[in-house]
Amino acid sequence: MLKLLQNEWMKLWSKKGTWIMAGLMVILIIAMAGIMKWSYSLMDDESDWKLSTQSELENDKNSLASGVLKGESKRLAEENLQISEYRLANDVAPLKDFSREGMIYNPSVGSIALLLTVIVAAGIVASEFSQGTIKMLLTRPVKRWKIMTSKYLAILLFGVLLMLIGFITTILSAFIFFPSEGGQALAISGGNVVEVSIWGHGLYILLLSFVNVIITATFAFMIGSVFRSSGMAIGLSLFIYFTGSVIVGLLSRFEIVKYLIFTHMDLTMYESNYILNDEITLSFSLVVLAVYLIAFLIVSYTVFTKRDITA
Amino acid sequence: MGPTPIVELKNLTKTIRGKKIIDDLSLQLYPGQITGFLGPNGAGKTTTIRMMVGLMKKSGGEVVIDGQTLSADFEEALSKVGVIVENPEMYKFMSGYKNLLHFARMQKGITKERIDEVVKQVGMQNRIHEKVGTYSLGMRQRLGLAQALLHRPKFLILDEPTNGLDPAGIREFREYLRLIAKTENVSVFVSSHMLSEIELMCDRIAVIQNGKLVDLRDMSEPQEAHYYVEAFPADQTFELLGSLGFKSESVNEGFVIQAEKTKIPELVNALSTAGLELYAIQPHRKTLEDQFLELTGGGQLAETASK
Repeated sequence: MLKLLQNEWMKLWSKKGTWIMAGLMVILIIAMAGIMKWSYSLMDDESDWKLSTQSELENDKNSLASGVLKGESKRLAEENLQISEYRLANDVAPLKDFSREGMIYNPSVGSIALLLTVIVAAGIVASEFSQGTIKMLLTRPVKRWKIMTSKYLAILLFGVLLMLIGFITTILSAFIFFPSEGGQALAISGGNVVEVSIWGHGLYILLLSFVNVIITATFAFMIGSVFRSSGMAIGLSLFIYFTGSVIVGLLSRFEIVKYLIFTHMDLTMYESNYILNDEITLSFSLVVLAVYLIAFLIVSYTVFTKRDITA
Repeated sequence: MGPTPIVELKNLTKTIRGKKIIDDLSLQLYPGQITGFLGPNGAGKTTTIRMMVGLMKKSGGEVVIDGQTLSADFEEALSKVGVIVENPEMYKFMSGYKNLLHFARMQKGITKERIDEVVKQVGMQNRIHEKVGTYSLGMRQRLGLAQALLHRPKFLILDEPTNGLDPAGIREFREYLRLIAKTENVSVFVSSHMLSEIELMCDRIAVIQNGKLVDLRDMSEPQEAHYYVEAFPADQTFELLGSLGFKSESVNEGFVIQAEKTKIPELVNALSTAGLELYAIQPHRKTLEDQFLELTGGGQLAETASK
């Protein structure tokens, strides 16, 4: 299996496109940081964190009092309120969004890594068919499920690598472009306010967005191996990635929305303050996603191992 | 017929949407022998070959390779087989060497030395590190052969191997196949549309039509010995042949007679004592094309030949 994975890895990095994609990602992240710094320098940000925290606190109080918040959203608002009160009482400044710490605390590499991993996942089986190499690949003394597994592992590895490169690039550009502005991230743990390390939280965000990378890439992998067309796989995967939240919005009145994959794909919502549905929790999301993931893989493997190669 | 067969097809059947594409096909292939696989388009050659190498699932029957059935132990059975299915499509964005490395990793126990050895065998040392995309078709065929030979297969299976090769390439390829069949005792199974090619290359041919094996014959031993005799004047020659008891048939300038090899010296003597001018006397064999036509009917051959 290791040798098969080595093969997939070699094929992947022998394509110029892969290097271009990885390079593009690094450039994009640096450019985004540069643009952020530039637009930030245009604003005169002399606002007092105490004032904004105070208004945030009022906001949360109002929405909690109005009773529209339920479930997870309500819990998050309550936590937020508790943190705001703690900050004002103990004089602990929050992180600034456009600061070195802010960027590391909330790295935004997920969507770029997702896009690139989807492209690779869509093509890894489909391209064997379009190049005609599938005949060479499958006439070896290796069972098809092993080949499929090596391809899937290669995708996951590629995804992890991109996330890591993305995170490192983010850290570097954070240090290059932004000064340290202090501040302390806080969270609620067991009812108490605790301090949070920006590094730990950054990695946690990375992990949550990696789940989305896995799900979308597995979907692309399935479409690519069933229909043998990478274009279609890329198209459909990005379609569900971009329109997912719209579909959730449209169907929000119905119970079924809880079980749709779109509702759960972006797990970073549990770390922001906007959750697509009031009745879901992180663990529920993970269960739903796992079910979809397994279904995608069953379809991919079954079609691939049963198919007669006639092309 | 030599020792035990290395490959055995037992009642192989393939049904697609209720239609029998391959119908109860049984065939044995022996070490050191090159077997040609002939048939009109759509007869089921490619389907048979694809079932033998695991690209298509069989509907019934069994493929046994060196004692292992394909369905029971796919990996063990297929590790004895080298395959070239049509034009060898390689990874164009990688070098020839990386392609070989790729396929070597999918077999057990192929060393770097073995890869170098095969590269030398097919004469590609100079360009093996260039990208396959830059190769000519002939080069790609050689690389295709190299990947099929990496693991020293006992059985080599080739589907339309000479498609698109120039005459020199075809000849080289043919001689190479004969060589490895002889020296390494490899059993070779070749499907082709090119009858003359098969005729030159094979020891034995199997003919398939409508999914059934319709003929299996050895090329080395012609069923009936025929000789072509050309002597002058023709009418006296005809009479003489008749008086000696040969049935003769006029072909071109001379006659084709049916005769045992041992009778030939006697015939030559008779011709010269009768004072006839003898220009030629040689074994005559019906071309494979003639035989193939007889077997499968002209209409389908026309289709075959147009490919």
